[in-house]
Amino acid sequence: MKEMLNELLMADKTLIHVPFGNGFFDIYKSVVVSWIVLAVLITLILVLTSNLKVHNISKRQAAVEASVLWIRKVVGELLGEEAMAYCPYIVTVLIFIAFSNMIGLFGLVPPTMDLNVTLALSLMSIVLVELAGIIKKGPKKWLKSFTEPMAVITFMNVLELFIRPLSLCMRLFGNILGATVIMELIKHVVPIVLPAALSIYFDIFDGCIQAYVFCFLTSLYIKEAVE
Amino acid sequence: MSLTAIGAAIAAFTGIGAGIGISLATAKATDAVARQPEADGKIMRLLILGCALAEATAIYGFVVAIMIILFS
Repeated sequence: MKEMLNELLMADKTLIHVPFGNGFFDIYKSVVVSWIVLAVLITLILVLTSNLKVHNISKRQAAVEASVLWIRKVVGELLGEEAMAYCPYIVTVLIFIAFSNMIGLFGLVPPTMDLNVTLALSLMSIVLVELAGIIKKGPKKWLKSFTEPMAVITFMNVLELFIRPLSLCMRLFGNILGATVIMELIKHVVPIVLPAALSIYFDIFDGCIQAYVFCFLTSLYIKEAVE
Repeated sequence: MSLTAIGAAIAAFTGIGAGIGISLATAKATDAVARQPEADGKIMRLLILGCALAEATAIYGFVVAIMIILFS
């Protein structure tokens, strides 16, 4: 057990050593895998959005338009009217996390299993949430909103600034790590058939749900901040 | 090793709370959908939010268990 955990968590994550100054500039595996995810997604986007027309649309364009409208409706319901401007960011994060969680299907290590990646994502979220509040209310009212509804709970409100990204980051990391550990254990015990069936739950379903939960909580915070 | 294993097992008991919480939430959600089938979109969203928050405790327990195993 301990060896497997060591292999998963403590192994050398560096993939590329770039000489930099006196030492090395290390590029982690998770970064390279997220580059792969980004390359796949960007190619997909470029292929799907090329050659768009107003009249006589092709089947591909109809499918793209339908899915874009659907995802915009889903995220728009979460964000509400006022915060609709943040929809593209939320959808981008949703698609990125969903694809990175599912990359385990292709035998790669999901980048979201690295604490640094989830930490970066959650920091981006909390910065966006606070910036949305500042833009909507102005700096003074934003600072004042920490003392609402009572001056006594200012401490709790400030603490929330740190708890929110921590819980976002740990939830995503823990879920993906847990799924990977359980899959490794099952592969150890029953090497054939059963892992394929269970990976539908652990890789596809859990990955999508976690991506949805991350974006759901982020948009909930944004909605709360702009109110 | 034996004592650290027991410690990790105790940390894994956080799963009990998350299990009870999620099952209660799901039971109430099915009740609510049976009573008002037209509101199932909203109920679904609230259910997922509640499950995510309840599940977080189990995840923290899991992370603590792994930390106990790795850093003991």
